[in-house]
Amino acid sequence: MIEAEGLTKVYGDKTAVGGVSFTVQAGQVTGFLGPNGAGKSTTMRMIMGLDTPTAGTVTVNGVPFARHAAPLREIGALLDAKAVHTSRSAYNHLLAMAATHSIPRKRVHEVIDMTGLAEVARKKVKGFSLGMGQRLGIAAALLGDPQTIILDEPVNGLDPEGVVWVRNLVKYLASEGRTVFLSSHLMSEMALTADHLIVIGRGKIIADAPIKDIITGKGHSRTRVRSDQPDRLMHVLAGTGVSVELQDHELLEVTGLDPRQIARSALDNQVLIYELTPLQASLEEAYMELTKDEVEYHSLITTGAPVSAQSGGN
Amino acid sequence: MSTSTSTQPAAGPGRAAARNAANPGPGPSFFRVLNSEFIKFRTLLSTMILLASTAVVMVGFGALSAWGTGQFADQAASDPGAAEAIASQGGDLAVSVPTSGAAFAQLILGSLGVLLMSSEFTTGMARSTFAAVPKRLPAFIAKLVVVVVSAFVVTAVSTYVAGLVSVPILDNFGLKLDLASSQSVKLLLVTGGYVAAVAAIGMALGTLLRNSAGGIMALVGLFFVAPIAFQLIPGEFFEEARKYLPGNTITPLTAVEHVPDTLEVWQAALVLGAWVVVPVVLAMILLKKRDV
Repeated sequence: MIEAEGLTKVYGDKTAVGGVSFTVQAGQVTGFLGPNGAGKSTTMRMIMGLDTPTAGTVTVNGVPFARHAAPLREIGALLDAKAVHTSRSAYNHLLAMAATHSIPRKRVHEVIDMTGLAEVARKKVKGFSLGMGQRLGIAAALLGDPQTIILDEPVNGLDPEGVVWVRNLVKYLASEGRTVFLSSHLMSEMALTADHLIVIGRGKIIADAPIKDIITGKGHSRTRVRSDQPDRLMHVLAGTGVSVELQDHELLEVTGLDPRQIARSALDNQVLIYELTPLQASLEEAYMELTKDEVEYHSLITTGAPVSAQSGGN
Repeated sequence: MSTSTSTQPAAGPGRAAARNAANPGPGPSFFRVLNSEFIKFRTLLSTMILLASTAVVMVGFGALSAWGTGQFADQAASDPGAAEAIASQGGDLAVSVPTSGAAFAQLILGSLGVLLMSSEFTTGMARSTFAAVPKRLPAFIAKLVVVVVSAFVVTAVSTYVAGLVSVPILDNFGLKLDLASSQSVKLLLVTGGYVAAVAAIGMALGTLLRNSAGGIMALVGLFFVAPIAFQLIPGEFFEEARKYLPGNTITPLTAVEHVPDTLEVWQAALVLGAWVVVPVVLAMILLKKRDV
């Protein structure tokens, strides 16, 4: 179990992580989702004791990482596929890591076979593709047979077969009762892998819920409504938990009410509606919706995706 | 990539649950970390190349110096000026022949000290290293031990081999070199210790600067540029300060008798010690404090 309490990291005048608190439970895959620069890697480095938090604490199984008697046997982490001296072979890298904890040579061979690196293990890491680097990072994370596994963007650069393999591996590890915490900036990947999702944007936790709740977008059902009396309709629909946005002449987008409730209110108040379209939020959209105000770097060129149509809001 | 992948991890089912939570297994004791650092040291080709070049340069310079010294001694037989020069050196030119390549050993092994630590940061290896040893200082000290011991051993062994090669060459010119004489042994041990000290300073610089080029430049600046610059700048201060540069402590440490314009032996030992201890302690404090 990983517990973060008011975890904060400030670099100069820039807050990378702004007082986040969350708990990662054992026995399930917890996804850590956020756009690039949201503070995922910084949070993970703080869990691993590599970066010192400006404020707050983070513990793994109740103890700060650095205080564990045998850290590699408690927590295995893939923080960066390139956390390796590239002039050393994969086998020697793992051997040196294993030596710190008297992990037997046999286990080094085991993790090499598990991650499919047997053929390239004696080659210098310099020549590795990003995918092979990721596999080596995962092999290093599993070396100490740890109870807690942290993987930062593990599927980056993997081929489709590798992506499926990581997906199955983390599910299997969680099914054994281990704590699995993996980050990604891809909602679609999380939807297939994670049981629980923590969404972070600009250093703040935006959502922390079972993946099902986030996918169904509870409280985020949107409906497109056209009416010749948009102002009057806005007034009629206004209420707690409901937001109505005038997007265009006679075009409204309503959040927090389902189409039936909207139609009922319109009928009761004698407002003509000539379009009523439920907007099915895709996972990607739900994620964009969650993080749209939290993205640090906005693209200047919008590609006509559904999201860009509403970027004028708020 | 045609690597086969097994979905089933080798850890059997229930293995995680069966583990004793209170005692997960051996942790990073100092000797385990030392073993790990030694594995890291010997599995880098670049390290081996630098060690081998040190040996080649020291033995090569020893042989070259033996030949040059012999030529000079030959000349002295017919040239009273040269004979006087030899007499002023205590009459024994041959004894310092085996360590004549020490300046290069110091440059190469000092750079090796820088590289072994700076490369941890430039490659990202530091994240793996300090995740395995989160207390950090055991890993630093283990690496320091590996660097210092290897620098000493390589310098001492190269000096000895250079001596073995030089003996027959000097013999041709009728000069005697006794490798077992107390001055020969002293030169071998002091030069080895001095180069080990330079390697330790290099490693401290690599830790502080976390940059290979910067660390090596700082080392070269301290050992090769500063002594010359101090000599060129007029003024009593620089003349006096020059004696305290780490590179200028080797002369009094290896001389048979006190050489004018240098420190006393005990002073030189203390100054060199300070040049090692201060950056190393500073590096340890900052390594513990800074983010990796």
